[in-house]
Amino acid sequence: MMRSWLIAAGIAAVAAVLAAALQRSRTSDRRARARLGTTTEELERLSHAFARFAPMELVERVIASGVPTTGERKDVTVLFADLFGFTPLSESVDPSVLVRILNGYFERMARAITAHHGHISTLIGDGILALFGALEANPWQTDDAVRAALAMRAELVAYNVELQASGLPTLRLGIGLHRGSGIAGLVGSPDLMQFTVVGTVVNVAARVQALTREHDVDILITPAVQRALDPRFALRALPPRELKGIAEPVATFAVLEQSSELD
Amino acid sequence: MTLRDVEWDACVLEPRHDRELESYVRRELGVLPSAVPYFTASPWLVRSMANLSYYGAPLVHLSYELADLVGLVVSQDNSCRYCYGIQRTVMRVHGLPEARIRQIEQNFLEAEIDPRTKLALDFARRISRAAPLVSASDAQPLRAAGWEPQAIKELAYQAAYNVFMNRLMTTAAIPIAPVERLAEHWALGWIAPFMRLAMRRRWRTGDATPLPPELRGGPWSYLVCALDGLPAARALRAALDGMWDSPLLSRRAKALVFAVVARGLDCPSGQREARVLLEATGLLQSEIEPILTHLGSPALDPIEAAIVPFARGTIRGRPMQLQQRTRALRERLHPEQIVEVLGVCALANAVCRLGVVTQIE
Repeated sequence: MMRSWLIAAGIAAVAAVLAAALQRSRTSDRRARARLGTTTEELERLSHAFARFAPMELVERVIASGVPTTGERKDVTVLFADLFGFTPLSESVDPSVLVRILNGYFERMARAITAHHGHISTLIGDGILALFGALEANPWQTDDAVRAALAMRAELVAYNVELQASGLPTLRLGIGLHRGSGIAGLVGSPDLMQFTVVGTVVNVAARVQALTREHDVDILITPAVQRALDPRFALRALPPRELKGIAEPVATFAVLEQSSELD
Repeated sequence: MTLRDVEWDACVLEPRHDRELESYVRRELGVLPSAVPYFTASPWLVRSMANLSYYGAPLVHLSYELADLVGLVVSQDNSCRYCYGIQRTVMRVHGLPEARIRQIEQNFLEAEIDPRTKLALDFARRISRAAPLVSASDAQPLRAAGWEPQAIKELAYQAAYNVFMNRLMTTAAIPIAPVERLAEHWALGWIAPFMRLAMRRRWRTGDATPLPPELRGGPWSYLVCALDGLPAARALRAALDGMWDSPLLSRRAKALVFAVVARGLDCPSGQREARVLLEATGLLQSEIEPILTHLGSPALDPIEAAIVPFARGTIRGRPMQLQQRTRALRERLHPEQIVEVLGVCALANAVCRLGVVTQIE
């Protein structure tokens, strides 16, 4: 009798140990799955977010096989924007206020750019480098870029009203646009990569932006942009100016108001 | 990519019940999708939603399971939360375990599915993305894997049909809550076997009968004839004819939508056809080019001037952007015209992405 009890107790103990081990393994498996699920979801979210800044195919290639070292020649329109007098402003206001002003500015500018099929490639201090036609071919890239510039102008006017109402200094913007061929790809160091376009097209846009101060206008375009642009945009021709690194003086056009037909 | 982070606006359209159209859809599909009442202002559109599906155009070469996978992958890629919710529900009903669906969603290229299916899904996704537009060389891996030309065409058609549905549901911002709730509902597992039986009863092998001569002409006949031998050819012919004959928008406005989408996707056959159709409506070549180059012209009437830039916005973009553009359109068009515009844009996006079938021999 006693022996039977002992055998039964032994079997029960072994069964209990096995059940506990099984349960533990299941729990551990469930936790591992949950962790894996969370990680994968994070990865998905990251790739989704990253896809706003680089072509999806490129994002997938990066995830699958690392950073590709090749670039692609593309016809793009480059928009370069910069704030006038930002350095003295940064020295005269509290750093936290400055960051708030800048973030509000970037949020509005990003909205104007993405609403017109562009994407922000880089923020350089208070400067913005935006590209049109770089992520995918865009036959309307030049009209889009100029519309984005006009939308940025309108956003800044509204933002300045807000800043003024809060007793803060207002901002002044200069935008340069150029169209041409550049090399698009992932550029940077292994720790810091970005999808961008490199080439003269970017340099010219930046230098044309700098000309906005000299001409006292806010949006300037090159003849390459003007030729591709909808003729219903109102422009004002400005005298040619020397640009660093460009052999011939470059004529520019100030973008005035958008025709109501174009709304 | 998880879709729960994708922003989705409030619906842009008002539902309007139409007993006759709803009965038609119920008869064809076996169920009435919650989206149907939002589109009843445009009868051809509602009928096309049913007729272009694999219930209306039964599959000849593809399995229904693969067609569902194509629907899942394309809807996910287009961030169409409505179609994606429907597709997830359908796949759960067909007994696909949740873990497997998740695996395919997360990365089908890494998922444990056979190489033939992976190739097919990759091809379908390329058709949907159209960056750049798919050409015959993109179909070569499928040919090398033993896919017959007609099977590749059917696959391309399935991808394009999903693009059509995705664009339609997304631009209208059809409410997603009921669909997403259904896909996650605990009771789905219990009723799935009964639903599966009912759905599979409607799966039938398509008839490969050639198109009769009277269906070989008309707008976009190059595309319809390229699908000859597939039930999809007749369904597409009916959808295109229904759209073309619909009185809610002028033919010129509809041809402009197709021309803009074809230009945006750099689709040569679509651009050629749209130009022919535009000339037939009286527009001169010298008037067409400025419209397509700058998406506007004094030659356009107010409705066309609103539709042309809108059509361009439907080619790509995140749902919220598309939906905000539709919302802006409400100030310039009548509600029934908006429904029609969404339908024409969705069909144009599908048709231009389907151009590859003309290159597959």
